[in-house]
Amino acid sequence: MSLADERAIASYARERSQRWQGTKNGLRRWWPYFAMMAPGITYFLVWHYFPIWEAKMAFEQVRIIPPNIWVGLKHFQTLFASPVFYQVLANTLIISTLKIIFVFPVPIIVALLLSEIRGGALRKFIQSAIYLPHFLSWVVIAGIFIALLSPSDGAVNQVIGWFGVRPVSFMTESGTIRWVLVFSEIWRSAGWDSLLYLAAIIAIDPQLYDAAEMDGANRWHKIRDITIPGIVPTIATLFILNMGMFLSADLNQVINLMNDVNRGQIDILDTYVYRLGLKTGEYSLATAAGLFKAVIGMAMIMAAHFVSKRLTGKGVW
Amino acid sequence: MAAQAIGRTRLERIEYAIIVSTLLLLVVVTVQPILNLLAISLSDPSRIAGMSGLTIIPNGFSLDVWSLLLQHPNVQRGVFNSIFITAASTVIGVLGTALMAWGMSRPGLPGRRLIFVVVLVTIVFEPGIIPDYFLMRRLGLLDSYWSVILYKAVNAWYLIILIRFFEEIPSELLEAAELDGANPFQVFWTVVLPLARPALATIALFYLVFHWNEFFRAMIYLNDQGKWPLQVVLRQFVVEGDKLAIVGAENATQNIGVAQIHIRALKAGMILLTIAPILLIYPLILKFFTKGTMSGALKG
Repeated sequence: MSLADERAIASYARERSQRWQGTKNGLRRWWPYFAMMAPGITYFLVWHYFPIWEAKMAFEQVRIIPPNIWVGLKHFQTLFASPVFYQVLANTLIISTLKIIFVFPVPIIVALLLSEIRGGALRKFIQSAIYLPHFLSWVVIAGIFIALLSPSDGAVNQVIGWFGVRPVSFMTESGTIRWVLVFSEIWRSAGWDSLLYLAAIIAIDPQLYDAAEMDGANRWHKIRDITIPGIVPTIATLFILNMGMFLSADLNQVINLMNDVNRGQIDILDTYVYRLGLKTGEYSLATAAGLFKAVIGMAMIMAAHFVSKRLTGKGVW
Repeated sequence: MAAQAIGRTRLERIEYAIIVSTLLLLVVVTVQPILNLLAISLSDPSRIAGMSGLTIIPNGFSLDVWSLLLQHPNVQRGVFNSIFITAASTVIGVLGTALMAWGMSRPGLPGRRLIFVVVLVTIVFEPGIIPDYFLMRRLGLLDSYWSVILYKAVNAWYLIILIRFFEEIPSELLEAAELDGANPFQVFWTVVLPLARPALATIALFYLVFHWNEFFRAMIYLNDQGKWPLQVVLRQFVVEGDKLAIVGAENATQNIGVAQIHIRALKAGMILLTIAPILLIYPLILKFFTKGTMSGALKG
């Protein structure tokens, strides 16, 4: 062994021992922080990572007496061969599309209107009222809408009755139930979701408006040329993030507005998984459907995140 | 302002009137359905049958509906369960989130990036309710309050908000405490938590509202009706239309007690009872949620 080799070995050993020393010091320094994080990290590992492992039953035949048998993609084949699956997939996509078209723009309009209100007290009053539904559960909102849409004494049927329209059973007619989803979502979120747009509008430099006024711009000109361009990044971010959630279509909403009559129209992936798995006990098939949604959903959220990050500098996280 | 007022034309005044009335219409559409339910629940039980969905004035006045509901064992049980679950999960959530966020906000923490990735993956990938259900079964938590209390015990989004907040605590404050011989636990308890009070209040409210409104997990994890929170009791009664859940089979067949109250009034009362705590803390919600959401989302 040459001197150089010995030197190299000695230096390697020193480095190793230094690194070990470093870790040891690191441990001495950082263990209290790890102790503090331990409950949280344990929670994430058990509550979020263990289910990922459990999801392997999508590839297994679940048996009452373990172990389960590995069956590969069998359940996915069953799923993709089932007409019901395509029906719920179509429902999910239709409902999400309706919401993007009809729900998404409403808070933007609300924010534009709110920003025109000059009186601070009036604005506060309006905001306090329209933010409220965001904090109610879908069980409550469903209860409110079932009463509101009642064919016998609901407010909506009375109002359309003034125009000579005969009472409609909105909750059970196949042509209306998806619109119930759209309008109840507007009712719930139009106010609260305007908050982010309003914040963006408030952040616009007021000098721009002063200058425009000097040039004789009216309200509409100012909205079109200053306010809307000012909030386009916010609109883009929220739009992309919304697209990322396209396969969700809101389980909590749908499951509370669903009944035996309207099921065919609004049965979505999530309610399908729930019914298949927890009502009929087709655990593997339900997990396969859930995994399908989870994987596509992940791809969409990741895509949304990176597109948004690229375009507007803001991502999902 | 003065210049604006002088320059204001008739057209502008009309525009403004349209804007204000559109928003006021939105206010009415938002609030009226709730006030209608309140009016129905406060009406004389014998006069509820034909009440319009448009009215906001009780038809006669009576507290019968409310006193019956509040004395109802299923409702009382639901109120107790909801308060217990919400309180427990909020305390656990705030504490767990704050502790974890504090560690993760420390620059130089070994494995910091890895822990971040571990958390972010859970936002992006959710394998679905069936594996969650099986986890509960494996842990023996089905039909236990813990299954609901620990659901979303540490919310990844709230964790990120708190980490951002902690990162901005000036390091001089921490170093000063360390020089005084405080260990990391003491620093956290005596310096960090008091400084973070507004952020913690925001997170606490987030958890509180979330857990009060949660129903789905309670519905699938809890078979024992005696453990159901109010939301699930409400759902069974109003959404699934199980009249007997509140009226009771015996009352219904003999038409006594609760059965004599119009079902609409009972539903209205139940809905309002479930909203009541949210309304009670609504001023706080407005204050903290508005700020929390704006700062959390805008920094994004």
